[in-house]
Amino acid sequence: MLAADSYRFRLTRREQARAGKAAASRRTPKWTMHNIYEPDLMKVIETRPQTPDVKSVKVRFLDEARARDFSFRVGQFGIFSVFGYGESTFNICSSSNWKDYLEFCFRRVGCVTEALWSVEEGDVIGFRGPYGNAYPTEEWKGKNLIFLGGGIAMPPVRCAVWYALENRADYGNITIVYGARTVADLVYVDELDEWAKHPSVRVVRCVDPGGETPDWKGEIGFVPTVFERAGVPAENSVALVIGPPIMIKNTLPVLYRMGIQPSVVYTSLENRMKCGVGKCGRCNVGSFYVCKEGPILTMAQLERLPADY
Amino acid sequence: MSEHTVAPVSVAAVCDRRAEFEPKIVAFVCNWCTYLGADLAGTTRLEYPPNVRIIRLPCTGRIDFNLIIKAFEMGADSVLVSGCHPGDCHYTSGNYHARRRWILFRELLQALGFDLERIYFTWISAAEGHKWQQTVKEITEKTRKLGPYTGLYRSSAASVGATLVVAPEGGHEGRPYDASPAGVGATLVVAPEGGHKGRPYDGGGEAALRETCRRLLAEGSVKVVIGYGRRGPVFVTRPEDVEQLVWNNQCLANLTVYLKRKEIRALGRPAIVVKGCDERALVVLEKESQIDRKEMYVIGMACEGMGQAKCETCEAHLPRFADEVVGEAGKHPAETGERWKSLESLLALPAAGRMAYWAREFERCVKCYACRQVCPMCYCERCLVEKNRPTEIEPSATAKGNFAWHILRAFHLAGRCVGCDECTRACPAAIDLRLLNLSLAKAAEEHFAYRAGTDPKADLLIGAYSLQDKENFIR
Amino acid sequence: MSATISQAELRELVASWIAQGKRVAGPRLVAPAFRSAPQVKPACVFYAPLESSGELSLGGFIRPANSVKEFIFPKHEELYAYRITGQGIELSEVEPPAVEQVLIAARPCDAASLPILDHVFNWDYKDELYDRKRQLTTVVTLACTAHDDACFCTSVGLGPAAERGSDAMLLELGEGEYEVRCLTEKGKALFDGKLQASERVASVPAGPEKRFDAVEVGAFVKEHFDSPFWPAHTLACLGCGACAYTCPTCHCFDIVDEGNIERGVRARNWDSCQFTMFTLHASGHNPRPNQAARQRQRIDHKFHVYPEKFGEILCTGCGNCARNCPVGMGVLGVVTAL
Repeated sequence: MLAADSYRFRLTRREQARAGKAAASRRTPKWTMHNIYEPDLMKVIETRPQTPDVKSVKVRFLDEARARDFSFRVGQFGIFSVFGYGESTFNICSSSNWKDYLEFCFRRVGCVTEALWSVEEGDVIGFRGPYGNAYPTEEWKGKNLIFLGGGIAMPPVRCAVWYALENRADYGNITIVYGARTVADLVYVDELDEWAKHPSVRVVRCVDPGGETPDWKGEIGFVPTVFERAGVPAENSVALVIGPPIMIKNTLPVLYRMGIQPSVVYTSLENRMKCGVGKCGRCNVGSFYVCKEGPILTMAQLERLPADY
Repeated sequence: MSEHTVAPVSVAAVCDRRAEFEPKIVAFVCNWCTYLGADLAGTTRLEYPPNVRIIRLPCTGRIDFNLIIKAFEMGADSVLVSGCHPGDCHYTSGNYHARRRWILFRELLQALGFDLERIYFTWISAAEGHKWQQTVKEITEKTRKLGPYTGLYRSSAASVGATLVVAPEGGHEGRPYDASPAGVGATLVVAPEGGHKGRPYDGGGEAALRETCRRLLAEGSVKVVIGYGRRGPVFVTRPEDVEQLVWNNQCLANLTVYLKRKEIRALGRPAIVVKGCDERALVVLEKESQIDRKEMYVIGMACEGMGQAKCETCEAHLPRFADEVVGEAGKHPAETGERWKSLESLLALPAAGRMAYWAREFERCVKCYACRQVCPMCYCERCLVEKNRPTEIEPSATAKGNFAWHILRAFHLAGRCVGCDECTRACPAAIDLRLLNLSLAKAAEEHFAYRAGTDPKADLLIGAYSLQDKENFIR
Repeated sequence: MSATISQAELRELVASWIAQGKRVAGPRLVAPAFRSAPQVKPACVFYAPLESSGELSLGGFIRPANSVKEFIFPKHEELYAYRITGQGIELSEVEPPAVEQVLIAARPCDAASLPILDHVFNWDYKDELYDRKRQLTTVVTLACTAHDDACFCTSVGLGPAAERGSDAMLLELGEGEYEVRCLTEKGKALFDGKLQASERVASVPAGPEKRFDAVEVGAFVKEHFDSPFWPAHTLACLGCGACAYTCPTCHCFDIVDEGNIERGVRARNWDSCQFTMFTLHASGHNPRPNQAARQRQRIDHKFHVYPEKFGEILCTGCGNCARNCPVGMGVLGVVTAL
């Protein structure tokens, strides 16, 4: 029984009114301009609490034609919105092979995510996208993949993992090391088990020292430490590392010591965004616009960027 | 404003409906007295019009003035504010605080042109069901006669009584460009090569100032001097750099604003150059426990006047609490103007004219918050306008958003603004912000004999209350 | 051979544009209404919609205190509207721009900002809200006859009679006459048949002396990103948005939802990189945690990033930043200190 269920509270009429329902939602016909800021209306088909303050949400286009035509590349992000509260940027954490829905995962920290927290199945929210660049899945073909994720940063890794598993023949060994502060902070726990069932896939899960529960069967330690201990072979590998800055900072030396070059260590840079299309002037790191040239980049690229992130 | 945003009722719609106009009245009432009084009216079957919507708060002291404005924005035609009788507050003194705030807030609303006939203040106790009934009946009837409140933020030129000058026929050409700093389009002209266009004072303050600062820095008693430079404020950390400091008739900025900025504080113990008007800010800041006078060295400048509006009514020619005063005293021109003259001209307009004036002024407001950033009293790390859970003040530069912001700013400075007029100087849209601050300063002086920054021993205005505060506007 | 128009005729023409239902905006004097003493802020000239041609100010000032960008990129612009009922969400378009606009007597430094802004608003995604207004706008520039210490158009490749972005240009000939140069079809259409042929050609003043090399500035900010120059020379900055909002080329914006439980709009508002919260993450981390970093971003964006991406400096040297800065800084202040 997820502890998060206790956070469900009865929606007042206001909250119901706010989210709106799918059946009667629409966009008035015959807009005279193509408005790049106009979102698609999405119906929420599932919300799942992952931790006490993290939820994953699956949405589907209300417009069937749009649902058929839409595609994205794994790693891209979208701007999701709750009407009346605002927009927020999240990675699309479902695999690009899945045509039935899009998924995103968020932590409840502010105005919009608080509103998203109350969104239920059947509600309607907005989506703009896909924006940004994608994981270079072509370049990764034939390589061994190392996925390192920390805490809430797991979802952007998750979509890459699923993509790789669905195109299993294209990739070599897959290693996933995922850790969080405590057991309760781990997201997509059930999927970790599923992944381990695939051939040549190794999943190592860990929690920070002090974050374990009595029945914890995984590793105890910070992700960099656990990863080093895991003794993953380094040849012909690329790595995707996403997590809090401190985790990345400590993981990089481990990777480099193993002989994995900065040019094949990838990460996803996050910055505050608003427009997502390079116009509002907010997300740039020097001349690198996270929403246009990112968010995916290699450590080699990152090292050349000014310390503006 | 598009039809999609919440807007005041349109005049056309109103004219059609006048016959069947039902006033909408919002009542902010305290939980312990008035709410129970209204409840009593109900349980004793006293009939009163259904036009009032009650919003219950723990205490009148909790009522944020924003709420009153918001009620009007959302379509209320009248607002009633009611609580426990003085002396009976459930929280002992909440209503005393509220009363003091209301006295001041009414003056601000008056200056802005709000229709004060639509705002009512009462004390109604839990036993006064009858009074509740009477009050609501009275307000409803009065509002019915007044009609719907269509004048909110209305800028129709027809109702502007003042000579709001736009260029006369034939335009504005022909006036020779005035290259002086007080000329068109600039108050602080950037002149890096030639230095300030400021006229140096004869009192010789500049040389003495530099000497003082050289000494202070050399002996290490201060780590940085916050002073006036040729182009703007400078932060001198080395004795040999004191030549950057100037003292002339263009030293307009109020440097005390830098005392709370973290980048400046990181430089170490400061010496700060203040004029008499700026020094008042130090008094208020210290009173509010924001600075410690012992942690800085205050260099007061004997000012000869800067040619600003405030200088004509200045009585702070010489800083009184400085650690050291530099320059020759007595060279400041005596007060010639009347402090409230421009405010009185504004108040001479009818309410609709005042509101039209402000609506037109605020049309130019771009929400740059220069007024906030230059103000030494605006030291909150995060301003209320930046709050979005919930959004109390709309950040957009619309009529609603601009009025809300300027009301907030002015009222949060009630009893704290020292009249340095920096906000007005900083405004890139040339909005006469000082008028708003003046209205509250006048209220403070007339009602409470209080002038911010003049008496270090006086209690703060809004933080305190008196049992003798007048309540002739409260029924 | 040139074409001229008298001031009286020009005003008549402006009046006719207004009468035709065009939205006409130009410099307008806003004089203080309640002043009893030498002004804290003297009369100012602003670009504003004109209700009559008499409101148009044609001289006696260096340049208006604001910029013309607000007529193409407003300070508050509704993107679309939404209605929320218990039944669902309805998105509707807000009225698209349809009124023709004429910006009369714009300064060259304002006119030049529009083609510069075109790049970013059409970068991969075409912002039709901007494009439509741009197409509906004709820019008539009034060349400069004087400059002040804050002007630096010549340092960024422009000048008192720079034609970039103008559809037509007026140049003072003296005695109430203007030479008119129609530079585009739009400009020709506006003045068609209203001009007299003439032999007089206006002389254009030299403009301000070049103050700095823009390319060097861009190189400096790129190479000396972590230099102590930034903290040292930006201490006076108070972090307001006066420079960005009066700048003809600053275009950063915020997107907000405004309304109530039932309906509202999603709108965009001007924003400034000088505000603390501009880049603040929800986690509390701020990539630009102090004013030095934010000032550096401004210079970086204008002189390095934008030229790198679009080949143009994001600055027209109008000097509004320096004039409107409460502490006399502005872009000019920082760049000249470089």
